[in-house]
Amino acid sequence: MAHHNIVIPTKDKLFNLGEFSLRRRGNLITAIILAVGLVITVIRFTQGIGSVTNLSDVQPWGMWIGFDLLCGVSLAAGGYFTTVGCYIMGMKHFHSAVRPAVTTAFLGYTFVVVALLYDLGHPLRLPYMFFFPGTTSVLFEVGLCVATYLTVLFVEFSVAPMEWLAGRFPFLLNWRKLVVRCTIILTIFGVTLSTLHQSSLGSLYLIAPGKLHPLWYSPFMPMFFFVSSMAAGASMVIFEGMFAHKGVHHYMDDTHLREADEVVFSFSKAASFILFAYFMLKFTDMLVQANLPYVFSGYGLWWLVEMLFFVLMPALLYARGSRQRNLRICRFAAANTVLGIVLNRFNVSMIAFNYALPSAERYFPSLWEICISVFVVTMIVTAYRFIVYHMPVLYEHPDFKDAH
Amino acid sequence: MRNGKTLLLLAAVALISAACPTIDVAAGEAQVSEIEDYKDSRYRAIFPVSEKPNPAGVGMQPTAFNHFVHVKKAGNCMSCHHNGITVACTSCHTMEGKDEGGFVTLTAAMHKRHIAQRPEGTATPQSCISCHAQQTKSKPECAGCHSIVKPARSASSCAPCHNMTPSMTTEQMQQGSAGTLPDVEKLALASATIKAREPARYLTPEDGPYKVYIDGLSDKFGSNMYAHRRHVESVMEKLADNKLAQAFHANPETLCATCHHISPLSATPPKCGSCHKATIDPEQPGRTNLKAAYHLMCMNCHKGMQVARPVDTSCATCHKPRATQSLTMDSQSSGQGSITPQSVN
Amino acid sequence: MNRRKFLTILGSAGVVSALSTAEVKAAGGTHTFPYYDGSFGVLHDTTRCIGCRECEKACNKVNSLPQPKKPFEDLTVCDTRRRTSAYEWTVVNKYEVNGRQVFRKLQCFHCNDPACASACFAKCFQKQPDGSVTYDGSQCVGCRYCMIACPFYAPGFQYDEAFDPLVQKCTFCEPRLKEGKLPGCVEACPMDALTFGRRSDLIKVARARMAKNPGKYADYIYGEWDAGGTAWMILAPAPGAAAKPDGAMQALGLDTHLGNRPMGELTYGALGAVPMIVAFWPVLFGGAYAISKRRDAIHEAEKEAAIKEIKNDMTYAVNSAAHKVAETHGQAAADTVREAMSEAMQDKGGHN
Repeated sequence: MAHHNIVIPTKDKLFNLGEFSLRRRGNLITAIILAVGLVITVIRFTQGIGSVTNLSDVQPWGMWIGFDLLCGVSLAAGGYFTTVGCYIMGMKHFHSAVRPAVTTAFLGYTFVVVALLYDLGHPLRLPYMFFFPGTTSVLFEVGLCVATYLTVLFVEFSVAPMEWLAGRFPFLLNWRKLVVRCTIILTIFGVTLSTLHQSSLGSLYLIAPGKLHPLWYSPFMPMFFFVSSMAAGASMVIFEGMFAHKGVHHYMDDTHLREADEVVFSFSKAASFILFAYFMLKFTDMLVQANLPYVFSGYGLWWLVEMLFFVLMPALLYARGSRQRNLRICRFAAANTVLGIVLNRFNVSMIAFNYALPSAERYFPSLWEICISVFVVTMIVTAYRFIVYHMPVLYEHPDFKDAH
Repeated sequence: MRNGKTLLLLAAVALISAACPTIDVAAGEAQVSEIEDYKDSRYRAIFPVSEKPNPAGVGMQPTAFNHFVHVKKAGNCMSCHHNGITVACTSCHTMEGKDEGGFVTLTAAMHKRHIAQRPEGTATPQSCISCHAQQTKSKPECAGCHSIVKPARSASSCAPCHNMTPSMTTEQMQQGSAGTLPDVEKLALASATIKAREPARYLTPEDGPYKVYIDGLSDKFGSNMYAHRRHVESVMEKLADNKLAQAFHANPETLCATCHHISPLSATPPKCGSCHKATIDPEQPGRTNLKAAYHLMCMNCHKGMQVARPVDTSCATCHKPRATQSLTMDSQSSGQGSITPQSVN
Repeated sequence: MNRRKFLTILGSAGVVSALSTAEVKAAGGTHTFPYYDGSFGVLHDTTRCIGCRECEKACNKVNSLPQPKKPFEDLTVCDTRRRTSAYEWTVVNKYEVNGRQVFRKLQCFHCNDPACASACFAKCFQKQPDGSVTYDGSQCVGCRYCMIACPFYAPGFQYDEAFDPLVQKCTFCEPRLKEGKLPGCVEACPMDALTFGRRSDLIKVARARMAKNPGKYADYIYGEWDAGGTAWMILAPAPGAAAKPDGAMQALGLDTHLGNRPMGELTYGALGAVPMIVAFWPVLFGGAYAISKRRDAIHEAEKEAAIKEIKNDMTYAVNSAAHKVAETHGQAAADTVREAMSEAMQDKGGHN
């Protein structure tokens, strides 16, 4: 661990696909999930949405929106969180975390769009929103911001494939130079767009006060979504770093490894503050909206579980972890936060939605819906692996070392 | 024969109670002729008693009240004399209201429609109007029409009560309003008024058509035969002994006016279709279309009279499916138990 | 709150003017009721409804919807709670009020300012001057946000359709209205439980019915103000003496807590903040960047200054030391010392 000399995997060859063909359990599971996902995909697009989902007229948005879209976007918040920390706030020691974070953010958003295509009745008409813009719609704002931010992320991320391909196609160096020069502008653009659409995901539900349980419905939902997305971003960087260290450790260079722990502790500290703030926001909102009586109901208990075990607890753990410089606690807190974000988005979109309806009319995702969500996550992981195997994400390319 | 004694006792009670009214009537007649004591007499004259009566004797027509009939019907003095003291209404309720009457005016005490329920143990007072409204609601023979027709406050609905005999002088009116008219004179006025009342000579069932064919709308169903005479006969039979109805159904055509509403009372009312058109006029949304006008009238009346049959949604009880359409209808609704083709009459 | 939100919208008029529909713009950017004078509506008098399902049948027929599994003559289906779907644009449900059964017809309420239209990001929904809310499926993306937004659970989606699934709901028989005909259900109602007319007239009709039949109706016209007002309105039978008028509506499964403003307005505050964020965030983060850069620069300058000072001190110390050496050992020895010292310092400096 002490000293890693990275052999650039794509120094002499363009592709490095050997890792995928290794006979390992991970590869086998990936292959199975992808195969099953493809079959369901075919069914979905030839038989209709109803053939694979439990969606109904009362629950038009289920697992694919609740998990793939809401969770996908908030968990991809690591991109803007890390770039702002590094470039805007001048925390230079985050530098090695920027590229992995941008990569996962880019993949996250890409596959949010992919998953969205499954959920849309007319996936090919997605661009219609630009031709017939419904400007009064929150969804329009979300769509516009996600589309723009995806472009920004693509540009930010494109540096990595440029460095990978520069040996073959030297003209790409000009593009790379341009992008690097625009880093600050792209970062500011990215954080603005992120603020907008992270919060608008919360605004989506503002229009349905009668359907969402009062403990979750609030005029400040956009703010809650945005604040929690920051915590999600920080936690996701730690969380996926944990897996990266397990799976692709040998692609990490000295700098990355040296800075990795410091990144974890800094992010833990930040996440701790953010989660505390989030807890106070939610708690105050509950009091201000006079929702206290609801706390002592079945849903109130569930709300308390979310608030105490998935907001307050990780906040405390983060504080402790960063103070004691204990990597394990920080990682546990990160996993806890990620779960908490997923729980919160599930609550808003499914569990506390349509709370007043009789249980017979309530929604539970079908097996196939879950399979597609797992399929999408697997695709993200596979794409991430491909990128890490080929491009300088976890290490600095020796040819561009001084460029940063 | 364990119940023999009880039965005998019951029979005796029945005999006595049957005899009582007769005795009472006889006694009453005697009293009227002799004009003995106002308190025991059959009639009352209720004047609009006021602190400041109009010196010219101007005011609402006093009411001649048949106390005897109402005692018999109400049975319980407390339903009118709600505080338990059998004094005249006007001793507590005057036109302006008095402390003794809780400042409830005489007008309100007589006419109030909704009276708040009094706490347990105290009698909830009744006004003339509220008591009569209860009657029209609870008796099936009344409730049919009166679920559709609500007596309005109009000249014709005031007259049955506020119609003191024209022989009353302005002095009497003035004195009555001041509460100083002697009982003897009051009784004379009331008795003269009530004696002069004549029951309205209603149109007979025979004055109307025997059967009416309603065919203006027939499409799915054939023309509908409405047994006009049978309906009128049935209602009139049920109301034959109803004193309340006789007192207030003041015109020969009153009974007709439930269905033949709005237009002036007449023995030859206009057809329903002259106002109700086949389709609703968006400029007159308050006026129902012809089909609904029939349905609402028939169904609401039947519902009020608690006529169990026909069920609202069972079309074929009243309507014969059209010959040509019935085939398609049958094929569509084969196996439908709820629809039972049946002819009326 | 509303006022503040509204001011936010006004403040960002440049970007948000596109938010308001053309008609509202004509009114100077303010929301007024009703949006369309003389628009039509339907008054559903549940005290008249007998649950015959003729409206459902007529709706099915005039809109050429697929035949249901159970025929319309089967009235037992009213016993189970149903909702509208892509293939049943109207349904009649049975409720119990004061021990008596009451029927209510469900369909799109055709809101004055519809939540679905506000939510649609491809502008499929349109409030028409005749009062109907129409849907143009040719540009529908199928996101179903309209169904999330609709407070009445009216729109249904063709989940079984693979290639052209659309949102479907009552059209107010817009094509028939254009021909001068009544909506199918209204025409079919044998009881005039559905009264068609101008919305403003219908409110008067409803009030007149209440006045004419004291005690018969709940003192509440559902849809007069709910969700900003709807073209289709409902009269309910009076609840028990103790119950409040909105209790009568709740007994019929109607939500009386929707407020009296259009549902879309709930999102306008958030949308109004968009231009603010677009304008302010770059300044904020640009500023943060400038601060952190300036901080770095100052830090750098201070470091340089400190080094310079140390260097000066050292040079002075070396010079004075050399001076002393020169006094005792002569000039040559002093030069050697000076050279050795500066070499040592160079080394140290290089190391740092």
